[in-house]
This record gives sequence, C-alpha cells and structure tokens, in this order.
Amino acid sequence: MDLNKLMLSLFLSLQIISTVFLWSLNPTDIVSETKFAIFLAVDLLSFAMVAYSYRKLSWGQMTNSNWILLGSLGLVMLLLSSIFFP
Amino acid sequence: MLYYIPSPTGAYASTQYIFHRVFFGRFLETVHLYTAYAMIMLAFMHMMRDYFVSAHKKPREVMWIVGMIMGFVTLGFGFTGYLLPWTVVSKSATDVGVGMIDALPSGLSSFVSFLVVGAGGDATELLRFYDLHVVVLPAVLLALLTIKLYMLEVHGISEPNTSVKESEQIAIFPDVTIYLMELAAIFGTAVLTISMLFPLTLPASYTASLASQSIPQPDWYFLWIYQILKISVFEGPELPVALGIVTLIFILLVLLPFIDRSESRAIGQRPIYVTLGLVLIGEIIVLALWGLLTPGQIIPVGQAILVLGGTALIIGVLSLAAFRVFARRQETVGPRSITAGKSNATLILAIFATVVSVGALAIGTSLSSFVEILVDGANLLSIATLIMGLSGLAIAIFASLFLLYISDRSTGRLRKRLTLFERIVRSWT
Repeated sequence: MDLNKLMLSLFLSLQIISTVFLWSLNPTDIVSETKFAIFLAVDLLSFAMVAYSYRKLSWGQMTNSNWILLGSLGLVMLLLSSIFFP
Repeated sequence: MLYYIPSPTGAYASTQYIFHRVFFGRFLETVHLYTAYAMIMLAFMHMMRDYFVSAHKKPREVMWIVGMIMGFVTLGFGFTGYLLPWTVVSKSATDVGVGMIDALPSGLSSFVSFLVVGAGGDATELLRFYDLHVVVLPAVLLALLTIKLYMLEVHGISEPNTSVKESEQIAIFPDVTIYLMELAAIFGTAVLTISMLFPLTLPASYTASLASQSIPQPDWYFLWIYQILKISVFEGPELPVALGIVTLIFILLVLLPFIDRSESRAIGQRPIYVTLGLVLIGEIIVLALWGLLTPGQIIPVGQAILVLGGTALIIGVLSLAAFRVFARRQETVGPRSITAGKSNATLILAIFATVVSVGALAIGTSLSSFVEILVDGANLLSIATLIMGLSGLAIAIFASLFLLYISDRSTGRLRKRLTLFERIVRSWT
C-alpha cells in the first residue's frame, strides 16, 4: 500500500472516530465544550486532508508531503490538547 | 434567539444564562464572536484583493458597489451585535458611536436617531439594535447577496490578468468546489482552535456608575475611526469634520470604478493606485493599533500628522521602490516593460521621499525630547533621544543635498541657478 492510500485511510478513520466521539459527549457538562471544540476541529481537519488527497489523486498528481505532514502535525496537536486541556 | 431577552433588565441576565446554563451556550457564543471577526476581516481582505486585481473595473462596477454596501452591512452587524450583551464595555462604546449621530445636520440627525435608536431611551435602543441585528440586516444582506450572485452569473468571475491555456483550466465543479471545501474545513478548524484556546468571558453588566469609571473603547474594526476622532483638532464642535473625512473615504471607495477608469488591470501597470491601496491598509493598521494603545487619550495634531504622514511616506516610498525594481526585472525579461526608456527619476523621487520622511520623524523626535528636557529636566534617555533626532535631521539634510546634486548632474539647471545666485551675491558685495 503506498503512503498516499495509507494516509487517506488514517484520515478517514480519524474522521469517523471523532464523529462517533462527538455524539457521545455529555452536552450538560462544561468540560465537554472544550472536548467538543477539539474533536469537531479534528473532524474538519481530517476532512480537509481527505479532500486534499482526493483532489490531488483524482488529477493523477502526487500529494505534497509537506501539506500532509503539516495536517498530521495539526491533528496530533489537537488530539494531545484533548488530553491536557480541562 | 430562543433564550435572549432584548431589554435592559433582561439582556445581561439572559446572556449569562446562555453562558452558564444552555448546553454549549458559551461555546456557541465564542464561535459566533470569532466567526463575526473573521467575516469582517475576510470582507476587508476581499475588498482589497478586488481593488488590487482591478475587479472593480468595467463591466463589474455595480458588483463592486453592491459588494461595498455588503461590507457596510457587515460592519452594521458588528456595531449592532456589540451592544446586545449589555455589558459596560459594549454599552459605553455604543453610546460613543450613537453620539456621533448628533454631529450630523439637524434634520438628518433626528431622522437617523429615530431610525437607529428610537425615542424611548435604552429600552428602545436595545430593541432597535436587536431587530437590526437579527431581522433587518440579515434580510438586506441576503437581498444584496442575491443581486451579487446574479451579477456574477451575468458577468462571470473576474478573469486573471495572465492568459491561461484552455488545457490548464480547471472546472468549477468538482475541482474548485472541493478546493473551497478544503479551505472552509481549515477555516473551521482555525476558528474552533482559537475558540478553545481563548473562550469568551463576559465583562460586567452595564450600570451608569460603572460606565462613568470606564473608558469607552470600540471593538477592533472601528478602532481606526475612533483614533481619527481622538485627534485634538477634531474635538468638540469640529467632530463633523472628522466624520466628513471618514465618510469621504467611504464615498471614494464606493465610487472607485468611476474614478479609476484606466483600461489597465495588471498590478504592475498601476503604481499609483496600488501604492494608494497599500497606504490605506497601512494607515488603517497604524490607526487601529494606536487606538488600542491609547484608550481615551486625545492625540495632539502634530503627533498625528507626524505618525500618519510618516506611515504614508514610508509605505509610498517602499511601494514605488518595489515598482522600480519590478520595472527593471521587466526590462530584462521582455518587451512589456512598464517604465522602459524612462529616466531614474522615480527612484530618486522615492529615495527623496524616504529622506523627507526620516527628516520629518527626526524633527518630531528632536522637538519631543527638547520639550521633555525643558519640562521634566534632562536625563540620559532624553539627551540620547535628542542627539539621535538631531543626527537623523543632519543625515536627512545632507542626503537631500546629495540627491539634489545627483539629480542635477544630467541637466545642470540647479548648478546654473546656483551660479546665477552666486553672481548676484557677488555683485552686492
């Protein structure tokens, strides 16, 4: 499996997991607000990365590894912040 | 809208209720605030982008005017929405804004005042602002958006200045659409991240006593206007002059397609308009930052001239110098040079303007430190500032003389006049 397809699968999986997690949050809890913001951001960023990969691959071009790296870094930061933020 | 109560007694309490009781209330309020900020910022960036790429030119003049009105409506959203939480900060700032209506001619003033504020005091004012924010302005914006989209359908998107081969063109659907969805998702991520990092906090509720202790300060997008109004020369009865200047800037921007009527659309061929645009952006940023740093302070007119004039000169000179470099590159690249065959007068003019701006700043610094020494006595910092100012002034004078000498080398006119002057002086002596 080439790297493009692997990353695409990872981003798609992350998008599905974050969507399921969003539905599981308790809306009456103030802590959930931050978690909701983080996982909605994760959802949107994974969607952006999936759309970017799809656009490039459907044109028969390679994705820019810098953009993929930047997006992945953003996702890791957001996921880490979900642990450290109250 | 389900929980908010638009009355002076209920507005703050209901906002607090939304913050602390409604599910995700504070989160939604925070996202609402930051997306509103983003809307204002993006509307301004869109306007300036259209200005620089000449999208306002024929046949899209009316599209530009409609877009400008949409921009004013967006600012209207900001102005009306700011009051709704009824905090001491928002009410005090809105009072300053509403107070400007009194500076209008009497008939117009009472009419606008009746439309915006009403005649029933705070209660009517808040209700009017709420109606404007949730009913009138959205309806107006929707109508304008419909007109703009219809005109976009008629005229099409403004073409790029460079020709693109048909084989390199991409379809609006799905390619551009997917690209826009990517941007929208990244924008959403950014807003959510900022909302998470800097959640909104509610200032104290408005009371007359608290308001008398606080310094009214508008939100960031009105700070540049606020700073103009604080210049000492516009204080008191001269306020209409300041409002006239701001109105004139807006009118000139609206009528831009009928002022800038040149055929040329390329940035490289419009040095004057591009420079004016950059100066406008620079002045707005400087005024806004200055307003942020000096809340409630009256700005002496000399200081205002120095700062605003210096900003305009520095940006103008840098822009013209960049055009000069760009023109040189064009000369080496191909025949479509924008200033091919012209003398280096533009470069000399640009350097001269820089020297003059340095001189102006040096005079300001020298005078300021001199006055400081006279009033507060000499200290190391004030003496060092005075020496720096005087040194800058000396450099500016010598550089000006040198530039005059350089520019005169080819024509010799200045030398002839100096020789003539010398002869006259000799004949006297």
